[in-house]
Amino acid sequence: MAKRLENASSSLWEVVEIEAFSTPEKTQRSRRQHYIRALRTWLTGKRDAQRHAIEENKLRKLPEVRLAHLAPPIDWSRPAAALGDTLDRAFHEQPVVFFVTPPYGGHPDIVSRWAKAHRVGLIEAPAVEELLAGEADWVMQLNEQARWALPALERCFLRNHAGIQGVRVFLERALGGHLGQGVIGCDSWSYAFLKHIIGLESVPTLTLQGVEGEQLAEYFIGAGRGHSALTVYSARTGEPLSTESQKQRKRESDFQYLAAHCRGQLGIARSYWREQLREPVQQSEGDEELWLLDALDEAELTNETGDVATLVLHALLIHSGLCDEALAEVVPFTRHEALNARMALTRMEILSEYEGRWQVAPLSYASVRELLTSRNYLVDPL
Amino acid sequence: MEERKKYAELFNDIDSGTVITVGLILLATVLLIVLSQRGLNWLANRLHGQLRFRVFALVPLTRLLILIAAIVLIVPMIIDPSLRNMVTLFGALGLAIGFALKDYVSSLIAGVVSAVELPYRPGDWVQIEDAYGEVKHVGMRTVHIQTPDDDLVAMPHLKLWDTPVYNANNGGPSLQCVASFYLCVEDAAGWVRQALKDVALTSAYLRFDAPIIVVAEEKPWGTHYRIRAYPVDPRQQFLFITDLTVRAKQVLGQAGIKTAHLPPDTALDAGEVTSGPSKPRG
Repeated sequence: MAKRLENASSSLWEVVEIEAFSTPEKTQRSRRQHYIRALRTWLTGKRDAQRHAIEENKLRKLPEVRLAHLAPPIDWSRPAAALGDTLDRAFHEQPVVFFVTPPYGGHPDIVSRWAKAHRVGLIEAPAVEELLAGEADWVMQLNEQARWALPALERCFLRNHAGIQGVRVFLERALGGHLGQGVIGCDSWSYAFLKHIIGLESVPTLTLQGVEGEQLAEYFIGAGRGHSALTVYSARTGEPLSTESQKQRKRESDFQYLAAHCRGQLGIARSYWREQLREPVQQSEGDEELWLLDALDEAELTNETGDVATLVLHALLIHSGLCDEALAEVVPFTRHEALNARMALTRMEILSEYEGRWQVAPLSYASVRELLTSRNYLVDPL
Repeated sequence: MEERKKYAELFNDIDSGTVITVGLILLATVLLIVLSQRGLNWLANRLHGQLRFRVFALVPLTRLLILIAAIVLIVPMIIDPSLRNMVTLFGALGLAIGFALKDYVSSLIAGVVSAVELPYRPGDWVQIEDAYGEVKHVGMRTVHIQTPDDDLVAMPHLKLWDTPVYNANNGGPSLQCVASFYLCVEDAAGWVRQALKDVALTSAYLRFDAPIIVVAEEKPWGTHYRIRAYPVDPRQQFLFITDLTVRAKQVLGQAGIKTAHLPPDTALDAGEVTSGPSKPRG
């Protein structure tokens, strides 16, 4: 792990086998804050939603237009190219290769872009209505192709008896080489679940290596370089955040702290970066200084979180988001109870909606994962 | 007169200072016991998994240590701890206990043994005689078991001497549950086995790092299937069994698998092996 930190200047988009994945080394600060947070949760039952950072009252959130320039959406074409290189180099004879990323890790985009660049046909996931009806026609209609790609396997099953039959037949055919050579994109939580349901131990599985703080600094500060005289200061130390300063501080840098908190996931780190960026209320003319808040303003779950909420969160992670109708089919309580729990979690900003599906919000992902780990639920390998 | 003088020699001269010191030690003992019991229970109830059970296990042990410390401090203040005095004192005590307080003292001693051997600790799911439930409190004389019907059973520790204690999770989070199905299966036995395993694999309560076993046993009236699996938390055992039962019945019903009809006398015998946590039932 320490060796990885020393070599952090390596590529941001390093595709590795899942066994080689490692999370960024935790900083002393992230360890200390973890213990303080745990103690506070025990003592008070809840965590303060806001902690005061330096000069926080003199700072304000950035307008969405500016944020879109400073922290633009991640361009997944570069990891798609890295995936292509790795597949061509070492996995060109395998019938199926999995490409797994955690929530907000971009595997559907990466696999789709790779398929488009290599003119590989995409297999479409079945509609949720098909899964709810327990139909497996989508598998029966598949024919053998030279190469194919399935961007999001998590959309091909539901966690109930009927809902896993289709994906089981599909994977049996695919792993047996009856469909041709394929690349399957999959969410890391769905992958962990399907490993138990179907058994994927012998299937080559790739992922993106965890991002270190130094790489985050280069990515985020570099993304905003188009702006003239852009300087980002740390609200914790008051010092400017530059790639060089982060390199010098290495293990205790603000970005290493962020990387460790996000388990090296760029998609989640970007959400924190957008949320933490501030500008002075009174900006001096010609100057474009920005501040990075120290506090991670995230929705937290308390230790008293009940079973119903915990099971809803776990179900949503296993499926990488679900609509209300599908959620009610995979949790062991009534539709009404499931809806109530989902709405309560939405009010707490633990969940957010995307394309009609409810999913764990990026700013609460770390907290939810920690809760599920502490309660012995199945968690993802990343 | 001579006998009275002999017993009086057992004790030290007790002045007001000694009485106050003993009183303070007793007060401190009670306070420490109350604080440690409440504090450890409070802490354990905020934890999950193995750590929760480890903290629970400290509850009776801490109380025992505090009591031993108090006795070690108080006894030399009251009694001259010579061999002759001890033999006399224990002889007199033994006589009284043998006649009047045999069971009470036996329970107290068994309580000390239970704090050391840990046949049960708070958070465990145990069956002692007819009582099955979660151990809520391990006291000096009794263990308090909360049954699924929300009854609190105070079971004296002396049961330890001659009654088997069935501990379903033994200080850990792994507790096997069994869901039973009585089916009339002709040639779909393999399909039923896979279907029941899938039902367990897709349960929201399933603990994935423990095995799932489907057992089929042929009976004169049909086939007795059992799913043996583990919930994430022992407290979810009844919800887990219910979830397995409800969803398995739905899957089997949709596939046209019929329930076996038991003859009345067999049905009465089978009452002992209905669904429940995996342990002998009374």
